[in-house]
Amino acid sequence: MAATIRLTVPAGAARPAPPVGPALGQYRLNLMAFCKDFNARTQKYKPDTPMAVTITAFKDNTFEFIVKSPSVTWYLKKAAGIESGSSRPSHVVASSITLKHVYEIAKIKQSDPYCQYMSLESISKSIIGTANSMGIKVVKDLD
Amino acid sequence: MSAPLTHFFKHLSYTLLRRRSRLLLHPPYSPLTLFLTASYKAKDPSPSSNTANAKLSSSSASCIPTKAEESFTYPSYLSVHIRCRKDVADMLSEALLCFGASSTTMDEEDTFKNSDEIFIDSIFPEGEDVNLCILHAANSIGLKEIPHYEVKMGEQYDWIKKTQESFHPVEVIEGIWVVPQWRSPPDVQATNIILNPGLAFGTGEHPTTKMCLLLLHRLIKGGELVFDYGTGSGVLAIAALKFGAALSVGIDVDPQAITSARQNAALNDIRPEKMQLHLVPGKTRPSSMDERICGIVEEQESNGMGVISETGKYDVVIANILLNPLLDLADDIVSYAKPGAVIGLSGILSDQLSYIIEQYSPFLEGISVSEIDGWACVSGRKKRNLADS
Repeated sequence: MAATIRLTVPAGAARPAPPVGPALGQYRLNLMAFCKDFNARTQKYKPDTPMAVTITAFKDNTFEFIVKSPSVTWYLKKAAGIESGSSRPSHVVASSITLKHVYEIAKIKQSDPYCQYMSLESISKSIIGTANSMGIKVVKDLD
Repeated sequence: MSAPLTHFFKHLSYTLLRRRSRLLLHPPYSPLTLFLTASYKAKDPSPSSNTANAKLSSSSASCIPTKAEESFTYPSYLSVHIRCRKDVADMLSEALLCFGASSTTMDEEDTFKNSDEIFIDSIFPEGEDVNLCILHAANSIGLKEIPHYEVKMGEQYDWIKKTQESFHPVEVIEGIWVVPQWRSPPDVQATNIILNPGLAFGTGEHPTTKMCLLLLHRLIKGGELVFDYGTGSGVLAIAALKFGAALSVGIDVDPQAITSARQNAALNDIRPEKMQLHLVPGKTRPSSMDERICGIVEEQESNGMGVISETGKYDVVIANILLNPLLDLADDIVSYAKPGAVIGLSGILSDQLSYIIEQYSPFLEGISVSEIDGWACVSGRKKRNLADS
């Protein structure tokens, strides 16, 4: 029997305060060990990048966790503030983001260990593709 | 929620979005706080969205806060209990994190037998619009209805207590124990380091703390001056004194760490002049050439008082922190050591070793490495004829 805890924690900045404190404290997990471990493992990311952490807590108070930088979908949803992706992607536009958003997201993803060899341009193209498939329009400027 | 209300809700959130030309949602003031008792102080509300949200909340049964009258002096997060279908729970959890939740927790035990529903416990920052977030999250995964949920003020106290309950005495090396304040030492004759770690790191259980303690135990013969760079709970500074050092100086950028370390020193009957603690600014600039030559570096405490530490004075310098500060502050860390003194570095993973060794090779000779469970500790002696960089 286990619990699944999902958190967003800034890279290198885990502290035993909310949300880490209450979420892990609830299951008596070793907060300090988690913070130290998480901070050490996220040293390679730009400081304060929000990392997606999934923790599996076991009945004996031990735990395992996986850390990933948030998915492109996560960033796009946040940037667009949308209620839902469009159900007909190429026809109905649900919301918009700017090229600046795409660039900012691309910069973050480039520090992902698997993306470091990719150019900012190719990462951006991939992000625009994902945005389109979610029905999010990419515009040069807003308002 | 009834159909007309859902429609109104959708319209409202659309209006809210339009009002904001910035696309990253700034959470409007939470409607819940309007119903809480005086113990919860309101922050700056945006007047227009307030009334609209208030109207909504009064007609929505799922928004009524429970335990609102529990008065905590500093509530700082919201605890939300959501009920939803098992088959969408994972997606909903991830979506909630996209739209404002700080964490979501699902417990296998929380399901009703023979039910297709599960509970998600979610934490939101204070002031976040929980209503709006759940709406966005539910819509983004195609749910037709908003799941039922309850919101409470998050309790500050319990989780600190709960994690502290999990600390037990640890015999790090034979005859040397790290004991939490609220437990009795299993061996009264042993060297016992009593700790109340509070919110600072360093309980003795972590492999890095253990490796540093082993290093100190091996090095200290009596009378040494020890510098603990990034002292945390003060465990290493205290241990050094217990092993026979003459003086420990500990620095940290976290005020909580300095407070913890001071308390822990007192718990171990250590006088302030034997264990000197300084809060230093976060971005420590390496000392200038002139200051180095004079052998004195002046550091400002955050309250403006000047603090004087002497460079090139310490017999042992120990830094159990993280990879990036170890790399960025190498000059500063090494500056405190006497020529020929031992410098110990930890808080790094084994796969980060090469960066540390590369950065510190110009400064250290006789570098040796110990590893436990994927964590590493590097030590070496400061070269005697270092050219100042």
